[in-house]
Amino acid sequence: MKRSYEEINEKIRNGDAVVLTAEEIIEVVEKEGVERATKEVDIVTTGTFGAMCSSGAFLNFGHSEPPIKMIKVTLNEVPAYAGLAAVDAYIGATEPREDGSIEYGGAHVIEELIAGKAVHLRASSYGTDCYPRKDIDTWVSLKTINQAYMFNPRNAYQNYGVATNSSERTLYTYMGKLLPRYGNVTYSSAGQLSPLMNDPQLRTIGIGTRIFLGGAQGYVAWEGTQFKTNVEARNGVPTGASRTLAVIGDLKQMSTDYVRALSFHKYGPTLGVGVGVPIPILDEEMMKAVSVRDEQIFAPILDYSILSRNKTPIRQVSYAELRSGKVELNGRSVKSSSISSYQKARQIAEALKKQLIKGEFLLTEKVADLPEQKEQLPLDLHSREEVE
Amino acid sequence: MLKKYLLTFDPDQVSEPITFRIVKDFDLMVNILRAEIDEHGGRLMLGLEGSGPQIQKAVKYLEDAGVQVQELKEYIRKDDARCTNCGVCVSVCPVSAYQVDRSTWKVVFHNEKCIACGMCIDACPPGAIKLRAQT
Repeated sequence: MKRSYEEINEKIRNGDAVVLTAEEIIEVVEKEGVERATKEVDIVTTGTFGAMCSSGAFLNFGHSEPPIKMIKVTLNEVPAYAGLAAVDAYIGATEPREDGSIEYGGAHVIEELIAGKAVHLRASSYGTDCYPRKDIDTWVSLKTINQAYMFNPRNAYQNYGVATNSSERTLYTYMGKLLPRYGNVTYSSAGQLSPLMNDPQLRTIGIGTRIFLGGAQGYVAWEGTQFKTNVEARNGVPTGASRTLAVIGDLKQMSTDYVRALSFHKYGPTLGVGVGVPIPILDEEMMKAVSVRDEQIFAPILDYSILSRNKTPIRQVSYAELRSGKVELNGRSVKSSSISSYQKARQIAEALKKQLIKGEFLLTEKVADLPEQKEQLPLDLHSREEVE
Repeated sequence: MLKKYLLTFDPDQVSEPITFRIVKDFDLMVNILRAEIDEHGGRLMLGLEGSGPQIQKAVKYLEDAGVQVQELKEYIRKDDARCTNCGVCVSVCPVSAYQVDRSTWKVVFHNEKCIACGMCIDACPPGAIKLRAQT
C-alpha cells in the first residue's frame, strides 16, 4: 500500500493520524508484521538528545544610537563572530570564554538566552562615517534581540563510533572521561530511536523537512558537514558515522528542556541539542526501515589513545550490547556509558508524537534531496599548486 | 547497619593498628574505601558494618585515641533538574553507585554505595554532580 503526504496531513488536521514512536513500532511490527503495521500506522517519530558541537545561533541585536558596526563582540565574555553586517553575530557552541577558561562558553550563552536571562553584550569597532560609535556595553535578552535562530551545521549524526582508551592515563575527550586500560566504553547515538537510523537512505528527509529542534519546529536546511555515504551497511544501516543534517530553528521558540549547555572536562563547552524527525510511513519499505532495533545496529569501538584520524576498530558492537551497560572487550566485561540521553530521546519522540496527534505539527515533503553519494575529504598539507 | 566514616590522624598516630582493633574488639566488618598517608598525617575512609551500639562504641574508641571521626552521610549531590540522564557517570563510578533505571532510562544515584572518590564530578557534562560542600 501507498500513503501520500497530503493524506497524512489531512489525517493530522482531522486529529485522526496514528502515530507511534520508533521504539513502540518495533513491537507492533514484530506482532502484526510489516504489511498490517503499514496499513495501521501513519507516522513514526524519532528523537535524539546529545552533545552536538557544530551548533550555534545567529543573532541580530538591533542598532544603537548612534549606531555601531560591531567588529569584536562578546556575550557574557564569550566571543561571537561578527564579520557580518553591522549588528549581526554568530555565537558558536564550543567558543570558550575570552579569558581562556573552558568551563563556560557559547553553549552556556545560548542556554541562558533560551532561559530568558539577560546576557552581557560588549562590542567594539574602529568607527566609520556611517557607524560612528566605537564601543557599547549593555545587556540583551531574547526580548530585545530581533532575530535569534539556531543554525547548526552538523547535528543528528547517523551513527557514531564508540570510544575506549587503551593507554595508562585517563583521557578527557568529547566522548567523555575515558578510564585507562580499557576502563570503560562510551557511545553517543540513540540507536533505534535516532532520526537517521530510521530512514537510512534519507527517502523522506531532505532540505525543507520540518523537524523538532530544541522544542521548536525547525527545518532541515542542508546536508550536514562531514556528510558521507560510503560507510558499510549492516541490516540497511551504516556501521559508523555517516550522514548528518544542517538544521535551523527559532531560538525564541525553544526550551531548555531540549537545549542544554554541556562542558566536557579539559575539552570544553558544547551544546546538548534535542532533535526529532517524524517519518511518514509512505509504504512498506518505510515501515521496514523504522522497525530497526538496537540488536541490528552496529558501531565500531575505537581506541581514543591513538592520536590519529584513522583508528582501526577494535570490534563492532551492537547498540543492544552497549545499552545493556556492559560490553565484551578483549575477553573482559567493560562498563558502558551513553553520552547522549536516551531518556530525553524518548521524551522528544513522545513530544513530537503528541504534537502530531493534536494537529499542531504538519509534515513537509522535502524540496530537494541530500546527496545520494558523498565522501568525506581529509585535510592534508599541500602546496598551492597541488590544490588548484 | 552500614555506616561510612572519614578518619583523620596526626602523623604520630599512623602506627596505631586501628582497623585490627575495630574488627577484634568491636566485632565489626571493616571495608577500607580509601587510605592516604603523607607528612600531614593520614586519612582513612571506612565502611563499618555491624550492630548500631557496636559501631557507636568503635567510634568512641577512635575518638578517645585522638582520631578525628566524621560520618559521611552524603559526599556528593546530583542535581536532578540539571542532570540530562545521559549516563556518563555510570561507567566512571568504580562501585556502580549510579545506575540507569531501565524502564524510565533515568540515572539514579545510590548514596549508600558512594565511596566518595569524586571520579564522577569532572565526568558530568551538564555539571549536575557536585561535592555536597559546594552546594
